[in-house]
Amino acid sequence: MEESQVAAIDEFHTQLSTNNSSPLVGKLKKLLYKRMLIGVNDSRYFLGVFHCIDKQGNIILQEAVEYRITSRSAPGLADQRCLGLILIPAACRSSCHVDCSIEEKMSLMSLS
Amino acid sequence: MATNHSGVQGGGDVYNSSPPHFIPPGDGCVWADASSLIDAACKDLQEGELVHGENFSLFAAMSALEIMDPKMDSGIENGYCTVEEAIEAGAAPVPLSFDRTVDLQRTIDVMDHLFSCEATWHKGSILAQTVFSCIYLLRLERTSPHPILNAYCRIMHATCNEVIKSISNARTHEEEDLFVMAYGLPLKDEDNERLHAFLHSVEETISRKLRACKAQPSSKKKQVEDVEPLQTNPELEEGYCRALLCRLRFRKYFDLTLRHIRNWQGKGQSMAHKYILTCLAELENMRKNEMFLKSQPHISCKDSPETSTTASGCKAIGFDATLNAKSLSPAPPRAAKIVGWHDALAYFEKLLHDFDILCSFSFDPILESILQFVVQFQKSKPDLVARAYLQLLLIQSGKLYGREFFHEVIARVLLLPDVAKDKAFHQNEFVVQLGQLLIVLLKILCTNSAWQRRKLGKTLQDWSVVSIQLELAYNREFGEAQNSSADEGLHAKVSKRLFLWAQEQTYWIASRFLQLGFELDLYSPWEYCMVYWYMSVVFVQLLEKIQLRSIANIDTTRQKGKKKRDNHAKDHSRDAIFSPSCLLLQCHVYLCEGLAMVLAALRNEGSAFKMPNTFNSEHERFIQHFELLLRAHLPEQISFSSFHESILHARVSDVVRCDYFKEIQRITTSLKGSFAEAPEKLLEIRQIEQVAERNRIALNVINQLGASDPSLRVSFELTHHPYFAVVVVKRS
Repeated sequence: MEESQVAAIDEFHTQLSTNNSSPLVGKLKKLLYKRMLIGVNDSRYFLGVFHCIDKQGNIILQEAVEYRITSRSAPGLADQRCLGLILIPAACRSSCHVDCSIEEKMSLMSLS
Repeated sequence: MATNHSGVQGGGDVYNSSPPHFIPPGDGCVWADASSLIDAACKDLQEGELVHGENFSLFAAMSALEIMDPKMDSGIENGYCTVEEAIEAGAAPVPLSFDRTVDLQRTIDVMDHLFSCEATWHKGSILAQTVFSCIYLLRLERTSPHPILNAYCRIMHATCNEVIKSISNARTHEEEDLFVMAYGLPLKDEDNERLHAFLHSVEETISRKLRACKAQPSSKKKQVEDVEPLQTNPELEEGYCRALLCRLRFRKYFDLTLRHIRNWQGKGQSMAHKYILTCLAELENMRKNEMFLKSQPHISCKDSPETSTTASGCKAIGFDATLNAKSLSPAPPRAAKIVGWHDALAYFEKLLHDFDILCSFSFDPILESILQFVVQFQKSKPDLVARAYLQLLLIQSGKLYGREFFHEVIARVLLLPDVAKDKAFHQNEFVVQLGQLLIVLLKILCTNSAWQRRKLGKTLQDWSVVSIQLELAYNREFGEAQNSSADEGLHAKVSKRLFLWAQEQTYWIASRFLQLGFELDLYSPWEYCMVYWYMSVVFVQLLEKIQLRSIANIDTTRQKGKKKRDNHAKDHSRDAIFSPSCLLLQCHVYLCEGLAMVLAALRNEGSAFKMPNTFNSEHERFIQHFELLLRAHLPEQISFSSFHESILHARVSDVVRCDYFKEIQRITTSLKGSFAEAPEKLLEIRQIEQVAERNRIALNVINQLGASDPSLRVSFELTHHPYFAVVVVKRS
């Protein structure tokens, strides 16, 4: 793909993403670049930097590491694997935690 | 198949909002549940809107691995972590059921699924995700208390081992093919005689049970013989015995086929042929038995009939393709789709028919016959396994058929068999090089079409270089005295014939390279003109080289016997030039020229078949298709300009006047008698006749209507010959 075409795609999506005035979206933006731990429904966890999310709740993590429980009889042991950039579809996400300060946690809890 | 497990014991429940303790937060930080915020904020986003940081690039994000997509995510947790865990959970019980009838049903289903897995593996999937997705095969020793399953699994092991060894030796799999990868799989050699003896004893036991149940009417009477039935329902005994016997026998004779078909010397071929016929008969028995198995009540769940991997239609137990994902096997994460049972039957029937063709091979020492056999064999599109065995038939330990050195083969091609004994000949650097090139060529011709074309294009350079060097060496040493009346020394004779043969062989490879382009659908209809034009050029050169070589072979005979009358020698020359093979090749030339000129005329007079210039010009397309030939100077001084000038003034009326297609019909009429013993040649002559006849008629129609008639619709279809198109004319 030509560089100009890549730039055009990026420009188009930048226009869609920056002008939302919802306070909730504003709070969500503040979670960007934070470490996020997402559980998926086959019991794996993915830890990475929160990079992007869309309306459907699909999340992209940067520098992601996969944690997989090695043995059901010894659940404290987990294999780790570096995966890089990953997309976690909303349908298979079972939990989502953010690494933050206690104040930020209180703020998040107030929403629920 | 194994059922999914859900939940994680301890350390963070999937359905619990607490993250696992072994993933701590950062210093001074805590894990905070962001699910609610995410759900609420996403509702406020617009469709297509993204929340992302400044360093986000959508283009880069497209390369992200999608989790839980089997094509990209190799770590999907699906069931069991280890084979032992699967066994403990009851995924592969032995016996398969305590009800003997159900045990038998399930055993047959396992056999059928393994049969389907084996076909899937042969067709290009990986062993770890197909045959060795069977837990019984992964832990063979567990099947010992179940003799039928044990026998079947052991013979599967042995067969897989044999096939892997053959394919690895032949190297007909592509470099990136995963066919031979068996890392971490428990494949090991077993004493073949012992295995077959055990298989035979199991087969005999079942045969006795079959005889016993047939000896008595199907009533509830006790059997006279002291033979315990296979299962508890006497009315089903015969059906189950037959079902087991045909499967076990197929496995036995298939294994024997694979072992004997490699033993080309002695009685190997005839034994293999006998086993192949038995295998085909047992496959037919498996088909006949299908309705019986389908009609039995089953406890296991049913597959859909089109995709079922078993004759009964039930899912087989004891298989889990994900278990090996964690082994050393570098399999890609995508799951292998196991072919249906009927497709597996069709696959093995075809494989056995291909093997049978190999069994009929006559070990012809003539190189031309060998090349024709290989090309003919490839027309039936044999799969990897059959092609591997073809290559093993041809080349073993660097010799033809494992017994002839290639310098001897070359000496025979030169019609100088005695020269093979001359040390100077077989140590000649050109002879050594040509021997190596011949080995490479034969191996390439045994590969699949796509790989074959790629490799032929590369080997063209080597053949071309050697041909040019041979010609230069000959001219340097013997000057222009090729046709002198003086006695030619043996050295001169050998040199001349060597370079003429090398040139001929090079053009043969070039023609095969171009033909494969049609088979692989590499040419668009608007490129047919340049392709047929180039093919005509190559065929003309090939014909010329064949005729030159034939004349060179005869000329020396004339000079040798001075008392021979020149008339006889002239007759020989004429016979050589107009040999049936040459005449058939002449038909190819006429067809290519005719088709190229028809296409050129249609372009010049109408607007049909003009190359669209959206991405590449015609010149660029010409280079793309023929770059390898042009680089190898095949032939010299050919370029896009030569093509362009040849077709610039083509007119339909001129093509009609040249009468290419009529000329072909005249030649083919006389050819049929010459190939009476060669059915494949007769078939090709019939195909060429049909193409020529249809094209002659179509050309006349176009000529009458005029190529520029807007209602004319002309298309070129490969309906009667793999690479000579038929012109189809319609009016809209």
